[in-house]
Amino acid sequence: MPGSIGPESKTASRVALLGRDYRGINFELLCNEGDEVRAGEALMCDVRRPRIRFNAPAAGRVARIERGARRRLVSVQIEVDEGLGVVEFEVPGSGERGSLRDFMLESGAWSSLRTRPFGKIPDPDAEPAAIFVSALDAQPLAPDPRPIIDAHGDEFAAALDALAGICAAPLYLCHAPGDAPVRTGDKIRCVAFDGGHSAGLPGVHINALCPIGFGGGEVWQLGYQDVIALGYLLLHATPWLRRVISLGGKSIRNSRDLMVMPGASIEELLAGEPIDTQTQILAGSEIYGRPVERSSFLQAGQRQLTAVDIGGMESKTWGRAGSGAVVPGDRLEAAAPPGIFPVPLMRALQLGDAERARELGALELLEEDVRPLSHACASNNDYASLLRDVLDRLDVAR
Amino acid sequence: MAAPDFQMGDESGTYRRIFRLQLLALAPVTVAATVNTGYQYLAALAENPAIAGDGLRDNLVSALGADYRNPWLFDYFAAGLAFLLPVFALALLVGGFWERVIGERRQRPIEPGFIPAALLFTLLMPGAAGFVHVAFGMSFAILLGKGIFGGDGKRFLNPALVGVAIVQVSFPGATDSHPLWQGLAGYAGSDAIALFHRGGETALAGAGIDAWSAFAGGIPGQMGTASLLAVSLGAALLLYHRVIAWRLLAAQLIGLALVATVYNLSGAGGAASMSAWWHLLLGSFAFGAVFLACDPMASCCTNPGRWIQGLLIGGLVVLIRVANPTHPDAVIPVMLLASISAPLIDHAAMAWNIRRRARRGV
Repeated sequence: MPGSIGPESKTASRVALLGRDYRGINFELLCNEGDEVRAGEALMCDVRRPRIRFNAPAAGRVARIERGARRRLVSVQIEVDEGLGVVEFEVPGSGERGSLRDFMLESGAWSSLRTRPFGKIPDPDAEPAAIFVSALDAQPLAPDPRPIIDAHGDEFAAALDALAGICAAPLYLCHAPGDAPVRTGDKIRCVAFDGGHSAGLPGVHINALCPIGFGGGEVWQLGYQDVIALGYLLLHATPWLRRVISLGGKSIRNSRDLMVMPGASIEELLAGEPIDTQTQILAGSEIYGRPVERSSFLQAGQRQLTAVDIGGMESKTWGRAGSGAVVPGDRLEAAAPPGIFPVPLMRALQLGDAERARELGALELLEEDVRPLSHACASNNDYASLLRDVLDRLDVAR
Repeated sequence: MAAPDFQMGDESGTYRRIFRLQLLALAPVTVAATVNTGYQYLAALAENPAIAGDGLRDNLVSALGADYRNPWLFDYFAAGLAFLLPVFALALLVGGFWERVIGERRQRPIEPGFIPAALLFTLLMPGAAGFVHVAFGMSFAILLGKGIFGGDGKRFLNPALVGVAIVQVSFPGATDSHPLWQGLAGYAGSDAIALFHRGGETALAGAGIDAWSAFAGGIPGQMGTASLLAVSLGAALLLYHRVIAWRLLAAQLIGLALVATVYNLSGAGGAASMSAWWHLLLGSFAFGAVFLACDPMASCCTNPGRWIQGLLIGGLVVLIRVANPTHPDAVIPVMLLASISAPLIDHAAMAWNIRRRARRGV
C-alpha cells in the first residue's frame, strides 16, 4: 500500500449505531424514523446518565430503528445523504478539566471510552486510575496503526493532551517497539510492547502496567482511531467521519486496508467478494474476532473484518458438538491472558460461579481476551458470552 | 515487554485427537515391548528348554513359529506378540464391556478412552500376567478409574493407573515363582532396583544389565517400561503436539535428579548410591512420567501446580526406592498419590494467585 495515497476509500449508503456495542445502557431516543440528521447530531442518550450521548456517524435520514427482544435497541440505521451537513461543536479552551469532559460528552467522543472492569462507558464524573491508549495492533491481518497515526499526527497529539487533561491519572500510550508516536510528557507515558498476537490487546497492557485487583477502582481504555477522532473534533470542531479497517481472510480476494465510514454496512463492504455459505464473517481478527451476520454493521471501534472459511474446519466455536469438559494443556496456557490460570477460570465461567471467576481475574478481562480460549478448548463453550454474563452479574452486585 | 503467543489453526485438544496421539505415541513403546518380551522369553527358554510352559501363550509362541534355537528379530517379535496380544485383547474386551454397560445405563455413546487405557494397562503388565488378574484390573480401571466419575473430562485419575495399582496391591507376588520370568518382582515390574540395592552396579552387571541394554529396552520388567528410547520417542511426539505439559515432565526429571543427587552425596550405600541416570533407566519411572503422570485430565491444571506436582513425583519415587528397599519400583503408588493430590496443589496455586491479585492497588 503506497503510503502517500492511503487506503482505498469505500463509502456506504447505510450506516448504523449498534446497541450491543454499549453494555448496560438503556437508550433514550432523541430521533424518530424518517428524521433527517446531520453527521454528529445526537441520536440517543443514556436514560440514567443523559449527558452521555451517541451521535450520528453520518448525515442522512433515520431509516430504521430496530428493536429486539424485550424492546432492547438493536440498531439505529441511517440512510446516508452527505448533503445534509455536519454539526459544528464549540471547542473549549485548553486546560479546563470540566469543560473538556463536557465537550467529549457533547460531541459523543465520551462513548468511545471503555472501563475495565466491566467494559462500559465510564461515568461522566468518575476518576480512573489510568487511561490506556493502544497504538499497536498485532492481530493477524490487522491494519498497521503507525501510518494511520502519522497521517493524523496533529489530531493524535492534541487528543492525547486533552485526555491527559481530563483526569489526574497517568495516560499510558502503548506502542510497537521503536519510536513512540508522540513525545513522552509529564502525564503521557509511552511504553513499547512486543510479542505475539496478543501484544496489542489493552488487557495485556493493563495487566503489565496497572493491573486490576479487588480494590474497586477502574482504568479506562480506548483505541488509537478513537483518539484520532477526538483530536479531529478538537482541531476541526467537526466529527471525523472516516475509520480505517482491514478486510482480510481466506475468502477475500486481496486483503487490504479500507477507509470506510464508521458503522458502515458489512454487506456493502463485502460486495464483490466470493463469499458463500461456508464463510464466517468475523468482526475483528480470526483469533479475537466475534462472528457477525452479513446484514450487520461495523461495530464501534472495530478495526478488522475477517472472512474465514469454515468448510471442513474442525473448529468448535462455529458448530460441531463438543463434550462440554475442559481438557487442560499447554495450548490453553498459550491462549490465556497474562496472569490468568485458564483452566480454573474456564471452569468457573462454565459453572457461572461469578465469585470464583472474580477471584481468578474475571475483572481484568473483556470478551476479546477470552475468545482464544474458546478456539483452543474442545468443550464448545463460548467463553466470551460466559464472561459477559459473569461480568454483568458482578456489576449488578457491586 | 513480551506477550504470550497463540497460533490459530492448531486444532483444539479434543478427546479423540488426544487419544489418537496417545496411541501413536505408544506405538514405539509397544514395538519395543513386543521385541523385549519375546527376547526375555526365548532367552529363558534357550537356557533351559525344559521349563517351557503349556499355556495358551506358550503354545501361541510355537504356533507363530518363534524358535528359541538361533532366534532372530522375527522370532522375538512373534514370541512377544504371543504375550502382548492376548493381554491387550482381553483388556480391550473387558474395558469395552464395562464401557458399554456404563454407556447403556447413562444413555450415552461409548467413549473411546478405554482403548488407550487398555493399551497402557497392557504395557504395565509383566509378560507372565494372569488373565484373571488382567480382567480384574481392567474392570477396576474402567469402573473405578473413570466410570464412577462420569467418564473422560470428569475423572481425575488415570484409569490404567488405577487398574495397575489395584492389581499390584491385590496380587503382590503372583508371578514370582514362574521359572520363565526371572528378574520380575511380581506385578511391580523389574527387580533390578532391588538388585542394585543389594550389590550395586556389579550385581546389575552380574544379571546382564548395563546402561545400554536398559536404555534400548532389553531387561526384564513390565512389558512396556523397559525401553527409555521408545518412551522418549513417544514423549517427543506428545510434547510436539502439546498434549502433555512440558513443565510437568521437566519438573519430574528435576525432582528425580535432585533427590537422587542428595542421596548420592550423603554417601550411604545401597540404592542411595544409585545415580539419577540409573533411576531413570531402571523401573517404570520414565514410562509413568510420560504416560501416567502427564495425563492432562489427571494432573495439575495450573503452571505452578505442575512444577510442584512434578517435583513431588520425581522426589518421592527416589525417596521410596531408597528408603524402602522392599518396594522395588515405587512409581505406581507415587503417581497415584500425586494424581489424588493434584486438586489440592492446584487449590494452593490458585490461593496464591488470588492473594497476589488482592494486593494490587486498583
